[in-house]
Amino acid sequence: MRIVITGRGVVSALGIGKQATIDALEQQHSGVHSCGAVPYDDAALAELCGIYTPASRSVLLALPAAREALAEAHVQEDVAFFSGTTVAGMNITEQHWNDWQQGAPTDLIRHHEAGACSRQIASLLGLDGPVVTPSTACSSALNAIMAAADYLRSGQATCCLAGGTEALSEFHQQGFRSLMIIDDELCRPFSDTRHGLNLGEGAGYLVLETEEHARARGAKIIAWLDGYANACDAYHQTASSPDGEGAYRAMQQAMQMAHLQPDEIDYVNLHGTGTENNDSSEATALTRLFGKHLPPASSTKSLTGHTTSASGGIEAVICLLALEEGLLPAGVRVEEPILSTLVQHPQQQVLRHVMCNAFGFGGNDSVVIFSAEQGTELSSLTLPMLTPRVVVAGVCPAHLTPMQARRLTPGMRRLTDAALEALQQAGIEYPNAIIAATRWGCIVQSVRFLSDLLASDESAPRPTDFMQSTHNTPASSVAILCHAHGYNTTYSDGDESLTIAQRDAAIQLASGRVKSVLVLYYDELEPTWQALLARVGITMEEHAEAYVYMND
Amino acid sequence: MDSLKQQLKLQIIAALNLEGMQPEDIQDDAPLFGEGLGLDSIDALELIVLLEREYGIRLKDAKEGKPVFQSVAVMADYITTHRTK
Repeated sequence: MRIVITGRGVVSALGIGKQATIDALEQQHSGVHSCGAVPYDDAALAELCGIYTPASRSVLLALPAAREALAEAHVQEDVAFFSGTTVAGMNITEQHWNDWQQGAPTDLIRHHEAGACSRQIASLLGLDGPVVTPSTACSSALNAIMAAADYLRSGQATCCLAGGTEALSEFHQQGFRSLMIIDDELCRPFSDTRHGLNLGEGAGYLVLETEEHARARGAKIIAWLDGYANACDAYHQTASSPDGEGAYRAMQQAMQMAHLQPDEIDYVNLHGTGTENNDSSEATALTRLFGKHLPPASSTKSLTGHTTSASGGIEAVICLLALEEGLLPAGVRVEEPILSTLVQHPQQQVLRHVMCNAFGFGGNDSVVIFSAEQGTELSSLTLPMLTPRVVVAGVCPAHLTPMQARRLTPGMRRLTDAALEALQQAGIEYPNAIIAATRWGCIVQSVRFLSDLLASDESAPRPTDFMQSTHNTPASSVAILCHAHGYNTTYSDGDESLTIAQRDAAIQLASGRVKSVLVLYYDELEPTWQALLARVGITMEEHAEAYVYMND
Repeated sequence: MDSLKQQLKLQIIAALNLEGMQPEDIQDDAPLFGEGLGLDSIDALELIVLLEREYGIRLKDAKEGKPVFQSVAVMADYITTHRTK
């Protein structure tokens, strides 16, 4: 079967919709002014969307993009929804945090959950299919697009809306500041003089379906999804490895799936955040993979800002617009480029195959390839019956040295020990894939960071807490510990999280790409959060479980 | 000066979660990074937070930390000269 794109929608600092985006690309116009804020406040977005119930900014940014994609594809029925986010309703949480501590009603706390953000978007769009929320920090949206492709290939969906959404929050703006990777000037990705990133916000979604389904309903095919891959750098929670191993593997595997050679890629939309570390690591990975066939490349984050979990969705739409318009997008403010093929001015050029990169904390590196011509035949996947080879829950022997354990919360230690114990019992050194499930993510670290951030005495919030606050911390920490460079993702879908993670384990085993999958289930009790949830009748559960699944 | 170094060692152990380590395990002149304690870039950021929280010293760039965090002795000298609280 082949997978096609039939709809695209986008919201970013460049404006609402594809036309605003293509205009900005053609004119090389940047929407970043200190950061890449979408130029509409919450009230204006709510008005625009016709939403009069409480909704987080991540939901409000998603709606116009999602609607644009559905409208272009002319679909509404039987659409499964895959939406990456990390911030979700953090804006609401940080706005009400101090009032909640004083006893104010906590009804809006429900919006904090990543899965709740996706479910509300799906409900406001009138979608009644499955809802899946990958949360792997800055690669979330690309992982959503890949998950959609895998659901199509395994017959669990016939049509998918997939991408991601992320609002600017004080939490992650101060978080990136604590990591000292925000440039107070305008960012200069892939420049030798770069000095950090500018954050942005927005949403980007695609409609994906099988070619057969699209043709049967007479849909216009925009492009083919020819290759995709997710690999783990397994190096450090926030830093990319000097040799760009994760990025190299993800790009290489995506090209292998698409049956493409280095000289056939016509454009790469770089992750290109503008930090010293990301750009040098990504440039190294590109040079390793493409050698003398380095394709034209640019980072459009100098136009949109780094839209974190939404970036893969927004940049996938930019790639598809480039493909359709025959336009090589250029970044701005390039000074002394560190890559010889960096596009510095928009150029008209026929494009056949374009690559989109998105890399997240923990080294969650994802790559997709779109083609303008009929693409690669992808195998259908028949999901196996899933029986765990090993299950480890509860107290188990300590596997970590004091230095390895020093930053972990008690719950993370239990989970990590369970993971390493499960691998040992299964007799494997490292799994080929790690898939995590979590409802509230790393709530202990998030509450600590938020409390410091909003404390009246201006205590500086700690980088360690921010670094570990993203939902993908458990899966990537375990990958780092056991050097697992394979597929690595995290789902945050409330009570459904574990079921969705296990379904993905079946998909990965069916794909033939992997022989062993480690599934992690993590939620940790945090007393303040637990009390706030209790006031609206939500009971917090604790999980530190590890499952190993293997192909015989 | 010795009491500042002692206090600094306790603060470093707490800030970097160096569990089970005692102040006497850190030599005044031993390098903190590289071959020393096995610290990484996030630890350097935590030390920057420590300087700000405890001594009112604000470093603007992670690179500024490098010469300061050579050893406890160098850090203590820097604090003595630059502290605002």
